[in-house]
Amino acid sequence: MQGSLRFDNIEKVYGDRVLLSIDTFRMNPGECTLISGDNGSGKTTLLKIMSGLLKPEQGTVTKNEITLSWIKARPILQSESVYLHQAPYMFDTSVFNNVAYGLRATKVPKSQMEERVWQALRWGNLDHLTPRNAKLLSGGERQRVALTRARIVNPGFLLLDEPTASMDRGSRQQTYELIQRLQREGMSIVISAHDVEAFSNIVDRHFFLEAGHLHKVDIGTKQHKHKSNAVVTPFPKNR
Amino acid sequence: MQEVYQATVDALFLLIAADPGIWEIIGISFSVSLQAIIYITPPSLMIAFLLAYGNFRGRRALVSIFHTLLAVPAVVVGLTLYILLSRNGPLGDLKLLFTQTAMVIGQMILAFPIVVAMAHSALQSSDRVIWETAKTLGASPQRAMITVMYEARFGLFAAIVAAFSRIIAEVGCSLMVGGNILHHTRNIPTAITLETSKGEFAQGIALGMVLLILALVLNLFLGSARYRFEAA
Ligand SMILES: Nc1ncnc2c1ncn2[C@@H]1O[C@H](COP(=O)(O)OP(=O)(O)O)[C@@H](O)[C@H]1O
Ligand SMILES: [Mg+2]
Repeated sequence: MQGSLRFDNIEKVYGDRVLLSIDTFRMNPGECTLISGDNGSGKTTLLKIMSGLLKPEQGTVTKNEITLSWIKARPILQSESVYLHQAPYMFDTSVFNNVAYGLRATKVPKSQMEERVWQALRWGNLDHLTPRNAKLLSGGERQRVALTRARIVNPGFLLLDEPTASMDRGSRQQTYELIQRLQREGMSIVISAHDVEAFSNIVDRHFFLEAGHLHKVDIGTKQHKHKSNAVVTPFPKNR
Repeated sequence: MQEVYQATVDALFLLIAADPGIWEIIGISFSVSLQAIIYITPPSLMIAFLLAYGNFRGRRALVSIFHTLLAVPAVVVGLTLYILLSRNGPLGDLKLLFTQTAMVIGQMILAFPIVVAMAHSALQSSDRVIWETAKTLGASPQRAMITVMYEARFGLFAAIVAAFSRIIAEVGCSLMVGGNILHHTRNIPTAITLETSKGEFAQGIALGMVLLILALVLNLFLGSARYRFEAA
């Protein structure tokens, strides 16, 4: 991500429920942010808004000190971000084709494409699965395909929605390792999770989403990492 | 009983001996119905997609209109088209009445709502996550649409097969706007209807068997495709 990205006054309403009412949220290049919150608190909705997949009722985006209306910001968000679903969808084709999808969609020439896909497959430790149908993979393998498929398009930032929910231990560990590798590569990442313990060790910042607001959680002291006894301070208005 | 037995033997003989008369009729049926299906498939799939994924006013009303059109009898479509194409009708100058083109148009009208309605339910029940995944990986709306259709391909294929099965066996419309003219607009269902009434049982049974075999083949084909899909 070049320069920081700031979301202001994001409001999302379903029926007569104001699900999100975020004063401001800033993403800095190379930073990894955790957003925790109970089930139904709006994490998925917030991440989809940040990826441009979902339209909020209100909100502006500021990039490189230029404030954009939502209409203007949406295509930028869409082209800069990749959003990963909690249960990633595998296209009904080989692992190779799944990973190649974004390059084909953006019309990368075939000569370059194949080389980049093989490189990405090695990165995700998927070489041995290449010809397999991605729909037949295990949960952990699917998550690896999803992360590799996202990384290959070189997004400005990655939005990971509960990336380890409903996974066994081994797969979870592999997923943490890949996320940390992405961090080391300088990728800007936002992770949502309702079980925060594992992630709070690897992220730079932690916010707790409650009643539509983001509250900054202090990650300095280890024993406060659990949601139930987290130190919650309101997120400062306008930074 | 003896008569039916004899007619069936004759029917098998007609088919096996490749009687040119009967194969011409079969050829006309396939040519007309395949043309109709080929012409309506792309627009029907597009409309089904827009109805499933679009977000515009009147979407639900349109869906129920297509479901209503499913129930329109073939003879009513035939009658309407006949009036439009008859010499004094608004489209009379086109001189299309009693041509294969008129039959193709009639079958297109019959197949259109079937493909739209069935493809719509296949796409409606397909996962929204497919669309979002395609979009977030940088696909254009057109590309994302093709991806969604590819993932729902067995349902779409079933819609096309169902429409084809209906129109290739449909008699009301073809008879009215085609006229059952030998070597020209006589197809399987019109031949069965009219020739049987003249006592030509063997031909009727032979053609009926062709339709049955076709139905069987299409269903086996669909079934194995679905099986492979669900195994995945
Ligand atoms: N399209 C929708 N229409 C109405 N309510 C919705 C819709 N999408 C999500 N919601 C509601 O918004 C709330 C938050 O959902 P979500 O963002 O998925 O939360 P989380 O990811 O934190 O579990 C839930 O109560 C959900 O029922
Ligand atoms: Mg969620």
